[in-house]
Amino acid sequence: MADANEPGPEGKRHLVSNNVSYPAIKSINLEECRAEKSYKLTVEQKPSSIPKRRQELLKWNGWGYRDSKFVVNKNGHVEFTGERYRLSNTVMPALRDWMINTVGISLEHQQPAQPELTAADIVAPIVNEGFLEDMQRTGISFTDDPQDRLFRAHGHTLHEVFILREGKFKRIPDLVLWPVSHKQVQTVVELCSKHNVVIIPFGGGTSVSGALECPENEKRMIVSLDTSQMTKILWIDEKNLTACFECGIVGQDLERRLAEKGYCTGHEPDSIEFSSVGGWVATRASGMKKNIYGNIEDLVVHVKVVTPRGVISRNCQVPRISAGPDIQQFILGSEGTLGVVTEVIMKIRPLPECQKYGSVVFPNFEKGVDCLREISRQRSAPASIRLMDNEQFQFGHALNPEVKSVLASFVEGFKKLYITRIKGFDLQNISVATLLFEGTKEEVANQEKRVYEIAAQFGGIPGGEENGLRGYMLTYVIAYIRDIGFDYYIVAESFETSVPWDRVLDLCRNVKDRLIRECKERGVQFPPYATCRVTQMYDAGACVYFYFGFNYRGVGNPVKLYEDIEMCAREEILANGGSISHHHGVGKVRKRWLGQTISEPGLGMLRAVKQYLDPKNIFGNNNLMIDSKL
Amino acid sequence: MKPGEDLSPTSWVKKDQPTDVSTMAHYKDGGYEDVLEERRHTSDLKYAMKSRPDVPRYKYCKPRTPAEIKTQVLNSDRLRYTIEKISDATKTSKEEIMKEAGSILDDMAHNLTVGVVRSVAFFLIKVFKSIFSRIYVNKEGIQMLHRLLHEYPVLLMPTHRSYLDFLLVSYIFYEYDLPLPIIATAMDFQGMKFFSWVIRQVGGFYIRRAFGSDTLYWAIFTEYVQTHLRNGDAPIEFFVEGTRSRTAKSYQPKIGMLSASLESYFKAELPDVMVVPISISYDRILEETIYAYELLGIPKPKESTAGLLKARGVLSNDYGSVHFHIDNPISIRLFSSNKIDRVQHALEPRYINNLTAQEKDVMVHLARHIVRQQQGHMVISPWALMASVLMQSREGILLRQLIKEVEWLKRQTSNLGAYVNWPGNTSSESVVQHYLSLHMNVISISETGLIELKLVLPSHMKKPVADEVMLNAATNLILSSYRNQLLHVFVQVGMLSLVVNTSPQVTMTMEDLYQGYVFLETLLQKEFVFLQGETKKEFEWAVLTLNHSGALAIKDNHVLVKQSINKYTTFFSQMFEPFLLGYWVLCQYFLSLPGDIQGKPLPRKPKNFTKEAQKVALRLLQENVIRHYEILSLDLLGNGLLALVEMGCMYKDKRWVSHSVTCHTRSVTRHT
Repeated sequence: MADANEPGPEGKRHLVSNNVSYPAIKSINLEECRAEKSYKLTVEQKPSSIPKRRQELLKWNGWGYRDSKFVVNKNGHVEFTGERYRLSNTVMPALRDWMINTVGISLEHQQPAQPELTAADIVAPIVNEGFLEDMQRTGISFTDDPQDRLFRAHGHTLHEVFILREGKFKRIPDLVLWPVSHKQVQTVVELCSKHNVVIIPFGGGTSVSGALECPENEKRMIVSLDTSQMTKILWIDEKNLTACFECGIVGQDLERRLAEKGYCTGHEPDSIEFSSVGGWVATRASGMKKNIYGNIEDLVVHVKVVTPRGVISRNCQVPRISAGPDIQQFILGSEGTLGVVTEVIMKIRPLPECQKYGSVVFPNFEKGVDCLREISRQRSAPASIRLMDNEQFQFGHALNPEVKSVLASFVEGFKKLYITRIKGFDLQNISVATLLFEGTKEEVANQEKRVYEIAAQFGGIPGGEENGLRGYMLTYVIAYIRDIGFDYYIVAESFETSVPWDRVLDLCRNVKDRLIRECKERGVQFPPYATCRVTQMYDAGACVYFYFGFNYRGVGNPVKLYEDIEMCAREEILANGGSISHHHGVGKVRKRWLGQTISEPGLGMLRAVKQYLDPKNIFGNNNLMIDSKL
Repeated sequence: MKPGEDLSPTSWVKKDQPTDVSTMAHYKDGGYEDVLEERRHTSDLKYAMKSRPDVPRYKYCKPRTPAEIKTQVLNSDRLRYTIEKISDATKTSKEEIMKEAGSILDDMAHNLTVGVVRSVAFFLIKVFKSIFSRIYVNKEGIQMLHRLLHEYPVLLMPTHRSYLDFLLVSYIFYEYDLPLPIIATAMDFQGMKFFSWVIRQVGGFYIRRAFGSDTLYWAIFTEYVQTHLRNGDAPIEFFVEGTRSRTAKSYQPKIGMLSASLESYFKAELPDVMVVPISISYDRILEETIYAYELLGIPKPKESTAGLLKARGVLSNDYGSVHFHIDNPISIRLFSSNKIDRVQHALEPRYINNLTAQEKDVMVHLARHIVRQQQGHMVISPWALMASVLMQSREGILLRQLIKEVEWLKRQTSNLGAYVNWPGNTSSESVVQHYLSLHMNVISISETGLIELKLVLPSHMKKPVADEVMLNAATNLILSSYRNQLLHVFVQVGMLSLVVNTSPQVTMTMEDLYQGYVFLETLLQKEFVFLQGETKKEFEWAVLTLNHSGALAIKDNHVLVKQSINKYTTFFSQMFEPFLLGYWVLCQYFLSLPGDIQGKPLPRKPKNFTKEAQKVALRLLQENVIRHYEILSLDLLGNGLLALVEMGCMYKDKRWVSHSVTCHTRSVTRHT
């Protein structure tokens, strides 16, 4: 996303760039505040970057914007279309060969997706007449348009996207609702409870846990409660450095509009372009820069939730409280099973003066992990640090654009020579860490010095700003690559976990080994691609992210095959002391491990809360602890 | 084809003498190839100096020297934790404990050195060429290992019948450019300075036989084994039977070494561990005589260097051929999946020793499974068949008769799925004669052509054993050890035959048959290796086998006893009779024990029990009541005692206490 030109209604701006310059509007705003005898800034309301009819801007059967995708151009090279990203409109000459050599694709063998589904292909809705009559009286916007309903029937797991490309959902929402305020949400929940209609809250639709899928055997009417029209920043409190957001505002809008006032939340999940505040809370999201700003649970000061039992709220917005077990923690990660998050008060920070990328090249992944462990021990982590294994480094390399100038090519060659010849690194083993520093100029300088010093102890050498920037940019682009893979018989997915430091290396190695072995044993004809990176670090451990894909040409039922293999990988993760999930959540796809993760009494606790708040299972998306009996 | 070339129908035969026993070894049956063949035609020195370029290495291995390994062991988390704990508990300084740890490790560690390996290879190949006619290796196994050693850490688990076992493994790994294994060796060798040094240099590391509660020793040992496994420096070789089997039957497996290694997998330090069972079958076992005397309770001579050198006389003998079968690997992941939950170790540091009950259970299962897999690939020597027949011909047997019986037994053995090393291109007579000539030390052929047992005097005994019975017994035990090589094949059908043969009824229900079978399996549980939970399955298999070969007559789900007592069942029963007789003697002895005031027998040590039971047996033999010399075997009596304990006829407290054995004595008697 780095340097991505995000089209807001007001035009484009750089979300992140090396030297952030911010409008000097802070003082003016303060003047205004004083005039109002309040320290709370009111913010001009603007519509969301994502339209109500999402499919007009976003792909209906893949990731991200319609205009941005990898295609094989007429010269047989891979190209990334559009103008949004740094990589947009560039040709990547090495990528085709990488795809052919690493995952065994063949340009002759394609598996195109089905054409856009029309009303005739989409199942008819189940209608609860009484509910619909009451609904019409409320004046809340809603639709039963088939394509709108289809768009809200899924997230982005392999299974869901594959259905969009090649099949049909058996069950999709019967109605889409767009409330615009907390009050309207209350009305919706009350009506649904009254008429026994199921609500599935929908935020940005970026779920990768199957959380948005409708339970196939749900006979009641299902409404998709789309929060995308609740995008207001209700206030900004400069005294306390907090801001109150409506749940539907998406990350890019939130940061853009806070930046106009000189602030940020610093919460940057990889899905920041599309995911919403309410979704972050409901899934316990994690942001790339959590080392400075914290994860969502650290950022949230207060949450307001509408449940069938009523509104859950605290009577104060305080930094910490001892009032029994934290009820907000029940909401964080509740995945839409208990109610709808409507308003969230989050911490904000003044925009950093300076932002700088960096990278370190290590002779191998092991050294890299040792270095990260040491940085964590010394608590000197920059805003973000991510360590890619060799396979991922190779992939990043394959995404290099055409070298346009002789000088650039010369510099590249020189760098390679330096690393391999002078430092004696083996390109088949090296591992690269990308870094992002934030703070004042001096802070950044100090952080840089410290990190590079520690890296040097582990044989790491600085790899330049450009490589760091590219690394972060790839994060956003990599989500798009799966769609071109589908066209060539590749199924791929990412999954993540958190793990104590002493088990990081064993886990990475064992899980990759398991993935490759399971592919072999299940008759996959081509070598699979299994790679990982360490994306977050904590005092007691780290978050590890895996990418895994394979060419399924010659074997049947790729989705089932993929899911079976990912299941084995998750079992391996758990056996290696890893968690069920670090930030993707449980949803439906990881439900089977929830019991053993939190113990049966723990599961019972969740069920008891569910039973009290939602005895009729109005929030019946079937995620987490909800079993079919409930 | 060039003119003048031999156009005879047998022109493809190199040496056209189908009946010559010496040619029969050329075959490459079952994928075996003779390693010695090439060595006999090339220079040993060149062989010892050959380069080994393509030795496979575990893909995640980081090369280290033996010295580096030691340092890493001493600095490991496990050791630091253990030392800390001991230091707190005993108020000893950590330095002191560390020093002790260092010396334990020095005693333990191997020092694998290529130079010494080459000299040993040079020496070994000469010895092997002189004592063995062939060493057969299954080529497929070698190829499998080449691939496997690259992918996963490997545990090699050979059968253990002789000291030659580990030398053979190392030799064959050298020969085929495989990484030399490191070998867990008992402390027995440490008395022999030179050999002890050599063994260290070729990868041997020493472990004490018993170190139950010594936590420091256990920690060092575990870490030492695991560090090799984790880094995959070399395949690790150890013997699941714990020690050389003196009886040539598989011993009950031990799990100490297995659990020390597999902890690494249970705690997810490794993606998988591969266990490769290796079955080594000898035509003639080097230590046959020593074993026989050991079994009779004459202490084994301490393995001193001098003793081994003296054994060189033995080395000039012909020991026939060896079959070295590398079996399919057992993946620990697959073996243990659904049986254990590795997640249970997620809440503790992994260096704290705490295996779960399920994990221990899996290892017991696995150990038995390994033994059974080893047995499955033992190659049955014709001599084992001959020994079985000879054991049942106490008055001697004529060659013609012997051939006939052996051929019959060969068919039965094959029908039970065992691989008999019987050359197809040679007459049975020459095969039998060949093996008789190999074992003339226990066999004599009278002028009338009667083949019978010979008495032996072991070379290392200064004074001959006075008692004629003991002498006969020794010869007998040697012979029986070869029959024993056949028993794992026949044990299920043997037990079934015993039940049928001892039935007083005319017909028997299948349930009764099964109950009898279960009782025998329980009784013989220390004698043979049975798989837990597979009794019913194996019983059914045995019923089917006997039924289909015509030995067991079944009508309306009932066994017709009379029709079922035939040559098959009688022969199979007799194979196992000595064990039951031995146990019967044991029971007789227990019943004769004087009681204390309450009429309860006095407790004693198990060793004394068996010793005294042996005396009873001796008397019975002298009086000619029983003619099976095997009942003198302390191994047999000891196994019987352990089985009785397991069955609850005896129990142990701090010492051992004998208890009523009456009811079971009756059943034992019934079966004999």
